[in-house]
Amino acid sequence: MRSKFSAPQDVTRRDALKAGLIGMGAAGALGLPPFFARAADAMVKRHSDGHNDNRILVVLELSGGNDGLNTLVPYGDDAYYRQRPTIGIKPDKLLKIDDHFGFNPGLVGFERLYKDGKMAVAHGCGYDNPSFSHFTSMAYWHTAAPNSGEEYGWLGRLADAVRPGGASNYIVNIDATQSLAVRSRDHVPVVFDDPDKFAREGFHSQQPLFHHVADANGAANPSRDFLLNIAQSALDASALVRQAWTDYRSPIDYGIVPLDLPKIAALIHADMPTRLYYTTFRNNAFDTHVHQSNLHQRLLTYAADAVAGFMADLERIGRADDVVMLLFSEFGRRVPENTSLGTDHGAAGLMFTIGKPVKGGHYGQFPSLTELDPGDNLIYTTDFRRVYATAIDSWLGYKDAPALLGGDFKPFDMFA
Amino acid sequence: MLFHVLLAGLVALLLTPLSPVADAAERIHLGPGPVDWQGDLSPIASSEWSYDRAAHLLERAGFGGSPEEIERLAAMTPAEAVRHLVHYESIDNSHLSAFDESNVHDPGLVPFPPSRPATTQLAKENGEALGIKVKPSGNRRLQPVVNKFFYWLRASMLETRRVSYWWANRMLATQRPLEEKMALFWHGHFATSEAKVRDYRKMLLQNETFRRHATGNFRDLVVAVAQDPAMLYFLDAGVNIKGAPNENFAREIMELFTMGVGNYSEQDIREAARAFTGWNSDDLTFVVNTGQHDDGSKSFLGYEGNFDGVQVIDLIMAQPATAEFMAAKLYRYLVRQELSPELRGDLAAILRGSEYEMKPLLETLFLSRDFYSPASMGTHIKSPTELVVSTYKKLGVDDVPGIPDFNLVVTALGQELFWPPTVAGWAHGRSWVTPGLLLERGNFARAVLFPDIDFIARDRYQSSLMLREVHARIKQGFDISSATLPGYGDGGMMMAESNMMADRDEDFNTRYGSYRGWQMAIERVKPLPRHTARISLSAMVMDAGLRSTEEVVDYFLQRFMRVPLGETERELLVTFLDGELGTSDIQEAETYLEASLRMLVHLIMSQPEYQLG
Repeated sequence: MRSKFSAPQDVTRRDALKAGLIGMGAAGALGLPPFFARAADAMVKRHSDGHNDNRILVVLELSGGNDGLNTLVPYGDDAYYRQRPTIGIKPDKLLKIDDHFGFNPGLVGFERLYKDGKMAVAHGCGYDNPSFSHFTSMAYWHTAAPNSGEEYGWLGRLADAVRPGGASNYIVNIDATQSLAVRSRDHVPVVFDDPDKFAREGFHSQQPLFHHVADANGAANPSRDFLLNIAQSALDASALVRQAWTDYRSPIDYGIVPLDLPKIAALIHADMPTRLYYTTFRNNAFDTHVHQSNLHQRLLTYAADAVAGFMADLERIGRADDVVMLLFSEFGRRVPENTSLGTDHGAAGLMFTIGKPVKGGHYGQFPSLTELDPGDNLIYTTDFRRVYATAIDSWLGYKDAPALLGGDFKPFDMFA
Repeated sequence: MLFHVLLAGLVALLLTPLSPVADAAERIHLGPGPVDWQGDLSPIASSEWSYDRAAHLLERAGFGGSPEEIERLAAMTPAEAVRHLVHYESIDNSHLSAFDESNVHDPGLVPFPPSRPATTQLAKENGEALGIKVKPSGNRRLQPVVNKFFYWLRASMLETRRVSYWWANRMLATQRPLEEKMALFWHGHFATSEAKVRDYRKMLLQNETFRRHATGNFRDLVVAVAQDPAMLYFLDAGVNIKGAPNENFAREIMELFTMGVGNYSEQDIREAARAFTGWNSDDLTFVVNTGQHDDGSKSFLGYEGNFDGVQVIDLIMAQPATAEFMAAKLYRYLVRQELSPELRGDLAAILRGSEYEMKPLLETLFLSRDFYSPASMGTHIKSPTELVVSTYKKLGVDDVPGIPDFNLVVTALGQELFWPPTVAGWAHGRSWVTPGLLLERGNFARAVLFPDIDFIARDRYQSSLMLREVHARIKQGFDISSATLPGYGDGGMMMAESNMMADRDEDFNTRYGSYRGWQMAIERVKPLPRHTARISLSAMVMDAGLRSTEEVVDYFLQRFMRVPLGETERELLVTFLDGELGTSDIQEAETYLEASLRMLVHLIMSQPEYQLG
């Protein structure tokens, strides 16, 4: 499972920078060098095999089932106000982007990104026979394979396809636990939460032992092999991540809940070889069954502040052309409001693709608010895997998206 | 040198021919049974019992043990050992004390509104809220109400952390380890979070319910949980009323608590929600508001009737899927992650056969050949709580240290007790360990063996920079508006919307309330003790009569690891200890052993294999 890449022959200062070797002088002087031989694995592979090597995809999951209808409100449709007499947001409160849609008043950051032409909204995203369970539906989105029991995540499979055999630090997942979305056959995703704590603490004389990881012996005890691979990944990544975080200073305000996006900006700034980043708005936060209006608006503000801050930060560090961000939630919420001033689990929802390379605007067809399924849910109009296919094919340039996604999902023409 | 070590070893053998080390070393070789034990539920024979297998049993049916505790189990027959652990009711546990309340609650806090806006709204309408009257005139008339709101959020949070400490100490000191082990299982199974419940009293009550039913009847447990105030609040029972059912609880009871997804329809969820209408709690007491209960006919899982909640639970219990789901979940928690459909079916049959009494299933599992097969032994990745409690047990620590802070440790490792991430609880198995978390696990061991000398207790220190700034400015005599202006985001950069929207309601100031509430809470909540662990590894070494660094490394590997380390790694540890002590002769190093032994144990606990139990 571990990468066996050797260092490329044409190591330049730029490559070394990318691997985070330069700027590590201080750490090196403190006697940490032996394991930097491993950093060779972290070098960017320069020989392109059909995909674009510099492009980065950042996926942000809004967990809990974000209420799409109160996120981008179809205020031009009377049916919306009939279905949501209490929690429907009045037109004068909305941040209107055209004569039909307006953003939730909390989404000032999104309004700006949309008006700057950097945000593509895909409408009615869902799949056949939707699950109303957070955990089941989220697993479908993570694997891009509803009702299949697929073992690996869509980003994990993408990494396996683009970098067969695995490569250190190709996938970073900032969270307390690893997401199924990045679960991979060949790669060990770098999963951490706090970069400051992504470090082995110990005495100087203990260091050589910390830098020794036993070889996985295969099959005898799979749990042990798993742990040894994790230990190797921690060794390969932790110093790079910590250094990137130490070197990063940003004047940008990401708001009250920065959603780990400053950490991702720091890694991009440090030229980590990572091409796939995954993070979440955690803890099922968007599960707004009761008294949702204030809470939902606040959650959206946090998300929009963080995303807008991230985009501004990418501009600041000169990487805005290299990064595209994808936002999704495991489902939208039911069209009619419930009796508790909230909404219950629903079906189709919105996906946002954000970034300087994005051609902003509406994509897909807005679902009907009057022709609903028997459970009063939106009938999806866009298979969510079309948006994944767009990211895989049109953005990252990997052309065999149908094999990855188990179907020919037509990419949108979403990038300039 | 070599001669010297050999001689020392020889002398040791001659002087203490029955030393515990030599004794245990023989029995430890009876590790996992043959491969074909996998899937076999027939019990192991007394002749197949060993120290190593007793240690395995104690890891799974509890939180591991010291060599002495393992010896005691190993001295029994396997059937006796399992009976001792499963039928624990007669074991005296009176040395454990009840939770020591800080008394932070008062009747004015009932009912507690769902949010700050709801609280101030209530105060505007009624002239009072949370037992605090609105000031008749003057500036910020609602401020005392807002202060009280934040006071309770913080007081309940801090008190819940004390409950967590109390529980961790029970896990460590109980004579009935399976009781706490199963209470922990139920906490993850019926995952309820203080983040939403916001009432430590309800969290404590629920914890006691889990303990009371820990290994009892599953059906009775489900009924108790469905009527548990914390769960009722957590899954919105209060708004599940006749004519306007809320599906939250009805969905989760089937999806997560009993049957698992795919065994019922959306229609079943809606009908079950009707059966639970009117179920609510009056503060800490379960009540049925009959006026809000829908007693009409329901169609549920193919049955028709005027079902209430208990009847719905009984219908769920009658479903084969329920026994399958629960048997498999218990198995994964106690034995291993993978099980065959046949094994799952066999276990479900036991659970059904006992009408959901759990002890027969637990006894069968713990005695089975499958439990001692290579697929089961040493393959379980410990949860953070298991790791922390078993570490203390093996170090011989008798209460949970205040430094490192138990709550901060398990939070950093991904299992904050009373704050499960979602209603699905914690994902187990491999999801416990990521590259980041593996390093944190090693750092935890270091924090126990070499505690921080600059530790600041989080129950005494406000970690929010914003609130610290508010405090500083209030002290300097700033008015509340100026004192609560955000001080960060300055410098001409655009301020994020959330910071700009900071509360500016003239009736109250949220930031000041948040600050003042913290001040009020820390005055009332009792402080946690902040002692470090008292450990003597040197005493262990001397008591065991160890003579060489090799013996020491082997002793600690045996004491702390359930999976053998590779020979190369073992050699590295011996070389390390030789280097630290400047000799391989323990007698020579007797007067200065401790620090080096701690470094050695830190290295052992940093091994990937230390995560396995």
